[in-house]
Amino acid sequence: MELNSFQQKAFDQQKPTIEKFGRRTWGWTLFFLAWIGFGGYALYLQIADGHIVTGMRDNVVWGLYIANFIFFIGISYAGAVISGILHILKVEWRKPIIRIAEMITVIATLIGPVFILLCVGRFDRLHHLILYPRLQSPITWDVLAISTYFAGSVIFLYLALIKDFAIYRDAKLKVPKWRQKIYKALAIGYRGTPSQKKHIKISMNLMAIIIIPLAIIVHSVLSWIFGMTLRPGWHSTIFGPYFVLAAIYSGTGVLIMAMWVYRRMYKLYDYITDKHFIYLGYIMLVLGAAYGYFTFSEYLTGWFGSEKWENEVLHKLFSPSEYGWWFLFANVCGILLPIFTVAFPKTRKPGWIALASLFMVMAMWVKRYLIIVPTLESPLLPMQDTRMDYVHYSPTWVEWALTLAGIATFFLFFTLMSKFVTIIPISEFADKEKELIKEVSATTSKDSKVVPA
Amino acid sequence: MPCKLFAQTDTTAKEEAKTFSPLIEFKSIQKSDNSVDLRASVKSKINGTLTTLAGYKIEFKEGPDSVAKKIGEAITDGRGVAIINCKPDQLTTDAEGKLNFKASFTGKDSIESGEEVLAVKRARLEITPVKDDSILNVKVKLMDLSTGTETPVDSTEVGVYVKRLFSALKLGAGTTDEAGEATIEVPSNLPGDDKGNLTLLARLDENETYGNLEASVMQPWGTPVSYEVKELPRALWSPHPPIWMLVTFVVLMTAVWGHYIVIIFELFRLRKEEPKTAV
Repeated sequence: MELNSFQQKAFDQQKPTIEKFGRRTWGWTLFFLAWIGFGGYALYLQIADGHIVTGMRDNVVWGLYIANFIFFIGISYAGAVISGILHILKVEWRKPIIRIAEMITVIATLIGPVFILLCVGRFDRLHHLILYPRLQSPITWDVLAISTYFAGSVIFLYLALIKDFAIYRDAKLKVPKWRQKIYKALAIGYRGTPSQKKHIKISMNLMAIIIIPLAIIVHSVLSWIFGMTLRPGWHSTIFGPYFVLAAIYSGTGVLIMAMWVYRRMYKLYDYITDKHFIYLGYIMLVLGAAYGYFTFSEYLTGWFGSEKWENEVLHKLFSPSEYGWWFLFANVCGILLPIFTVAFPKTRKPGWIALASLFMVMAMWVKRYLIIVPTLESPLLPMQDTRMDYVHYSPTWVEWALTLAGIATFFLFFTLMSKFVTIIPISEFADKEKELIKEVSATTSKDSKVVPA
Repeated sequence: MPCKLFAQTDTTAKEEAKTFSPLIEFKSIQKSDNSVDLRASVKSKINGTLTTLAGYKIEFKEGPDSVAKKIGEAITDGRGVAIINCKPDQLTTDAEGKLNFKASFTGKDSIESGEEVLAVKRARLEITPVKDDSILNVKVKLMDLSTGTETPVDSTEVGVYVKRLFSALKLGAGTTDEAGEATIEVPSNLPGDDKGNLTLLARLDENETYGNLEASVMQPWGTPVSYEVKELPRALWSPHPPIWMLVTFVVLMTAVWGHYIVIIFELFRLRKEEPKTAV
């Protein structure tokens, strides 16, 4: 396939990244594998000794694992919704960042459900979910929705990659033969003919349309696992949209962080510009404000009703001796910090926005934890077993090890994928984008490192 | 008479060898047809937890200790219980008119062997349904058979029960008079089987002299209730989901996976349209 000058420049800059694995990449890979190995040992203990090695007991039957599950499914929204919406709206500046977004979606959707498996005590009955599904159960909806969503995310990512695979195939990269064969197979004979372009365009449009409602359904279903349960802090009509909003919000945060890392790591200042951070910062600001409104509404209605059990959960959340500080962190860093960072021109810079995103993403993780644990620690019926570890949930090192292993897997997949495909899509840039990118590059702040062509 | 014991073993030696003593609960139930059910339940305290011992052999013997003869054996079930039924011709009484039984537990692996004995006087409980206008009663009669003749037993409390799905529901109790009889009323609104049949039981439980006695009779005194499983309606709680839910599910899944299929079809067409000269 022939490349225009801008595509050629983008490809030449990124070619060494996918041709060489490099010592640094090996170092990171081994580091992540060591984390995963440690998690594997923790998993062995959990299987051998049972869930007694976790902090979960009769009352708090969900803990760190479920918080991780919701978190990962949440950040998968980065690709699904942001990429889908920007595609439909034909927003041109999306092109350099959509691959990162779609990679986040696929990897996060792959890792998230693993935490469900870690939470399930009986692996040997896992196939019962498929063999004996109960359509009335939100758990069944979740299994179906997430597997469908995963399939859609993979297709969406693949569609956006076909043209690039054709470029890799034709470029005769200095990579092993097996990789060349894979590129050739994945390019499925794409040569850039008008009719082939049309097929890709139809498919991309279809996926962009379907992925948005699908993503909304997936996270709504996830919220209904809680919302349809008559438990204080969970049984809420706004849980569906609240979860969806929180998911897009945290997904945006992870996307900004990934952009910041890749921009620095691979010197992609020409493509991922300050404007990208600022535009995504604006999206984050709007989402943050909406999320803050939902949060306030959720707790205000619960508090105003003064229902006994609801008050018990609210007391736990606001009490400094229980979850008060975490609750404060979740709201200050999860709502106020991103809003103020983007609102003030002085801090409306890539570094500050990325830093605010980091804190926001951590706060959103804490928020998921606070949704699950305080409610489960406040049962409607009196506790039968009042041993301390039954009354208060405290994650064990096994749960933390597996959580870190999940995060390491996320980073590892990202590292490996960035060595297999270019982070900036090559084929997406037509000649007209050249001018656009030039224009965007011109607005890049002085402290940004622009790599000369 | 039911009783419990730990087999006679040296506890220090037991700990060293990591063996456990069985706890045997042995009782007899004399039936109205003069047969006797022997029931032995075996448990053991293993590592601080009282555990039922399933799959162990229990040997039952009848007669005084010196001339006891084996009348049968049974393997303990999941609850650690072994039961056998002794026919009247297998039973002998001693000079005091007592029936003597022994249950011997054959130990295995870390579980030690053990045995338990019991001696009860021969007796019989009879149950007779009596319908007086609309009042339903059962007459229960307790007879001592230890002397070879039937002697009424007075001043003894007997209970009347109705058999339910898992256990017996007590309807009432009465004390036997000089004729060894007690009359207990049966409610007329009890749910029965599909024909309205009730199984009424008379029981003498854990009596010091006679142990356990039981008699039963079936009467059509209940309200007919069919236990036939009917087709459950479509609901959230039933195995069948509501139609609207099924339709929503099928529509959503078809819409999404339909899109996927169209896209895969488009990709197949893309592959077919690869210019041959370009290869």
